[in-house]
Amino acid sequence: MKILVPVKQVGIIDEDYEIRDDGKNVDVDFLDYEINEWDNYSWELALNLQETYGEAVEIVPLTVGPDEAEDVLLNCLAKGGERGIRVWDDALVDSDSMAIAQVIAKVAEHENADYVLTGTLSSDHSFAATGMCVAGLLNWAHAAVVSKVDITPDAQQITVNRELEAGIEEEITVESPAVLSIQLGINEPRYASLRGIKQAKAKPVEVMSHKDFGLTDAEVGEMGSLSKVRKMYAPEHSQAELIEGTVAEQAKRIAEIVKELKGDT
Amino acid sequence: MARDSKHDILFEPIQIGPKVLRNRFYQVPHCIGAGSDKPGFQAANRSLKVEGGWAAVNTEYLSIHPESDDTHRLSARLWDEGDVRNLRAMTDAVHKHDGLCGVEMWYGGSHAPCMESRCTPRGPSQYASEFETMTYCKEMDLDDIQMVQGYYVDAAKRARDAGFDIVYVYGAHSYLPLQFLSPYYNKRTDGYGGSLENRARFWIETLEKVKQAVGDDCAIATRFAVDTLIADAGVEVERDALKFVKLADDFVDVWDVNVGDIAEWGEDAGPSRFYLQGHQLPWQRFIKQVSKKPVLGVGRFTDPDKMAEVIRSGQLDIIGAARPSIADPFLPEKINQGRVDDIRTCIGCNVCISRWEIGGPPMICTQNATSGEEYRRGWHPEKFPKAGSDDSFLVVGSGPSGSECARVLMERGYTVHLVDSGEKIGGSTNSIATLPGLGEWGYHRDYREVQLDKLVKKNKDSQIALGVKPLTVDDCLEYGADKIVIATGASWNTDGNNALTHDPVEGIDTSTPTHLTPEQVLEGSKPIGKKVLILNCDPYYMAPSLAQKLTEDGHQVTVASGVSLGNYMHFTLEAPNMHRMMHELGIEVIGDVWASKAEANRIQLYPIFGDGYRREYRGPGKLPRRENTHFDWHEFDSLVVCTGRHSNTELYEGLKTRKDEWAENDVKGVYVIGDAWAPKLMADATFDGQRLAREIELDDPQHPKPYRREVAVWGAPHMPGDTFEIEYES
Ligand SMILES: Cc1cc2nc3c(=O)[nH]c(=O)nc-3n(C[C@H](O)[C@H](O)[C@H](O)COP(=O)(O)O)c2cc1C
Ligand code: SF4
Repeated sequence: MKILVPVKQVGIIDEDYEIRDDGKNVDVDFLDYEINEWDNYSWELALNLQETYGEAVEIVPLTVGPDEAEDVLLNCLAKGGERGIRVWDDALVDSDSMAIAQVIAKVAEHENADYVLTGTLSSDHSFAATGMCVAGLLNWAHAAVVSKVDITPDAQQITVNRELEAGIEEEITVESPAVLSIQLGINEPRYASLRGIKQAKAKPVEVMSHKDFGLTDAEVGEMGSLSKVRKMYAPEHSQAELIEGTVAEQAKRIAEIVKELKGDT
Repeated sequence: MARDSKHDILFEPIQIGPKVLRNRFYQVPHCIGAGSDKPGFQAANRSLKVEGGWAAVNTEYLSIHPESDDTHRLSARLWDEGDVRNLRAMTDAVHKHDGLCGVEMWYGGSHAPCMESRCTPRGPSQYASEFETMTYCKEMDLDDIQMVQGYYVDAAKRARDAGFDIVYVYGAHSYLPLQFLSPYYNKRTDGYGGSLENRARFWIETLEKVKQAVGDDCAIATRFAVDTLIADAGVEVERDALKFVKLADDFVDVWDVNVGDIAEWGEDAGPSRFYLQGHQLPWQRFIKQVSKKPVLGVGRFTDPDKMAEVIRSGQLDIIGAARPSIADPFLPEKINQGRVDDIRTCIGCNVCISRWEIGGPPMICTQNATSGEEYRRGWHPEKFPKAGSDDSFLVVGSGPSGSECARVLMERGYTVHLVDSGEKIGGSTNSIATLPGLGEWGYHRDYREVQLDKLVKKNKDSQIALGVKPLTVDDCLEYGADKIVIATGASWNTDGNNALTHDPVEGIDTSTPTHLTPEQVLEGSKPIGKKVLILNCDPYYMAPSLAQKLTEDGHQVTVASGVSLGNYMHFTLEAPNMHRMMHELGIEVIGDVWASKAEANRIQLYPIFGDGYRREYRGPGKLPRRENTHFDWHEFDSLVVCTGRHSNTELYEGLKTRKDEWAENDVKGVYVIGDAWAPKLMADATFDGQRLAREIELDDPQHPKPYRREVAVWGAPHMPGDTFEIEYES
């Protein structure tokens, strides 16, 4: 059984940040990077399966991203797994969930994967769509927001729990192969040890391009995307004010504010 | 990052007499344990602050004459040429960084016990000091007044010659000028007593003489306790201080104003347990209303917004600071660079002060482990030597010691994994900071948390792992770290083991429902009954803090103590208000007792001095005194066992016993720091972490390398040109 786990490097925004000149994204100078939180859980799930079933399970982390994104693969490989895959090409810039899913689906086919375990969503863009797009492209069974799962190698069917609104859970059966998007809290992700981090550096990461899978530039990047960012901006926040002083002073200030708001200053 | 414009006001220069302060950050006089006898320590500690942005720094209180000798406590001295030479080291070092340098000229009167000089101090009237209750002063006649004023003038000239820019006449903390001013001390009926004008005369004349002598070269400052907090028995701000300031204003270039006296000087150096930032402003703010001169004041100012607000609102002109400058010598520079989140905020524990109160040892600081180590160990608070190897580290435990060690190792460029079973960095600090009044102690954790979060982002191989299962010996061995640092802290004893008997107390067992450790109280893991008895043998804050917490939670609390309750809090100046609090809350204290045995709901206590006072040899196995026969049972619903602590050594000892497996696991060394080494002050645990991280390249980093000592050197006489041979009068 082979499990492919797509993981993503996400940007963490500084307190003070600026929007890119084209107004479509945050300026990279203001970003720190880390692994998408959800992907720690999907990778942990894969690690647990591998530990339970040993050689019968192969787990492979995949990321679609530039050189720097390889850190997230090292992150995963420091905890387990023997090899990773990174797909990148400049044509992949500004891909949306669908365009990225094109790539992931091709890798899944190429790898003969039985399961694709994605995170429920990524903390930067919060589309929560990539996993389900992959399932659609592969025409596989799928389950989103998975909070519990029981996978055994060679099983034709697996049982999964999905988290719904208001704390309600739904238990469903899913045919294999399948794409599952994994929810936070499904397990307790481990930390890498120093030994793991050292060993990860020696593990192979295969670097490929979308073209290696027969995808054209038109199928990825902005052109291959179903959505387009038109504008990114910080919405105006209302102005809170801490009112200090004696009760009388505070009352006076409140009266002033009411007047200001009513416009009769 | 750039400075926030709302802090610009803090960086405006200001004239004081013939000198200019380059900004509004001013280190007021405070002791460090250097004085004039450790010139390297003195020079390094103060000049570092000027490097960190302070416009002016001062010596500690500086004795002007052997008649003002505070031994066993350590002041600076400017008695002679030998002192001038030594203090020049400080002025030279400070001037290299373009700061101003001041002395605080001090004459103690009866508060100075003169235990070294064996002089007899003089005062406005004769009384025993309320601080040094064995010491009386001689009431000054008019000749004495002239003479003592002459001491100030001579010392001021020596200060100028040593290169000082600011010369103080020190009249806060109940020292001589204030003794004249305050009717609490001054009972005279001549021209120096009686009316306020008369009581002010000594101080004003002294200022005038000092100004005349050195006023062209030096700014004249005076430190003035504008209210001694005993109402009309002493100095009151609105009644006395405003008049005095008007009378003396012409002879002063800068006013340094605070409140309080010497016996309870924690009212000035207010511990965070009782006082917030700016706690003296309700008194200090009056002075600017009557003075034409710049006014500076203290109040554990750590927050730049508050500082700017205090100046903008016209309450003070200059921000004075002692403790904030100790905890972070680079505070002004960090504000200037817009790095406010990098400030190491003083937690207000007053452990720095405890060392002066104890009398002699160099100052230490809970937040700043490099404090006092600038010269003798060469530690700079913001600069770290580059890593000496590629070694990677596993640090187990993120309390004060482990988090400091990890931080400094990371600053040095090492790869570090900091691992803790807690969900938050800080270890025991997390629960200690929940005790009444100790919230600000959490700044110790916050500083390290913020710094570690930044550092870990700079090295992707480093990691902070929180909320993980406690590591086993096998986990540590297999972790892949070259070096392992164990910082697993300490726990309270569960069986009543204590410093008096060095044995458990029969029947105490905190695994039973009615006996609790302090940790169990803090965790809230066990129900606690109405009637609580705290059995205490710890000399610091835990028993009083728990007593306060439990009383406030509605319990009826008695403390039975075998040691002086909260004894160390005398040294941190927390004791007076702690006692007031205990009294106000109706907490009963049974002192000088220990426990012979305990049951589920009662404990048997005996007086520790209940055995006979006559000692005689009575043969083997027999006490050489009459045995105590006095025992009393005391009932409780819950017993809190605050009797002592022990290191959590399981992991360290486990690793030590498997030393033969280190090499095969590529482990080069295993070290233990902080409370896990031996329970100690948070300041010392933090120091351990910093020290190990700085000395990790040594062959045996577990044990500190020698530091540079500053001692009198045989063959080098103190006075230039003097001899050093043994000579007797003939
Ligand atoms: C360790 C220490 C030693 C002190 N020694 C002196 C001293 O020698 N002379 C003096 O006038 N004040 C002394 N003080 C009091 C401080 O100058 C200051 O008034 C007090 O600490 C309040 O300021 P802060 O809140 O900024 O710490 C000392 C304070 C500390 C913390
Ligand atoms: S020892 Fe405590 S009170 Fe003193 S400066 Fe350091 S943190 Fe502040």
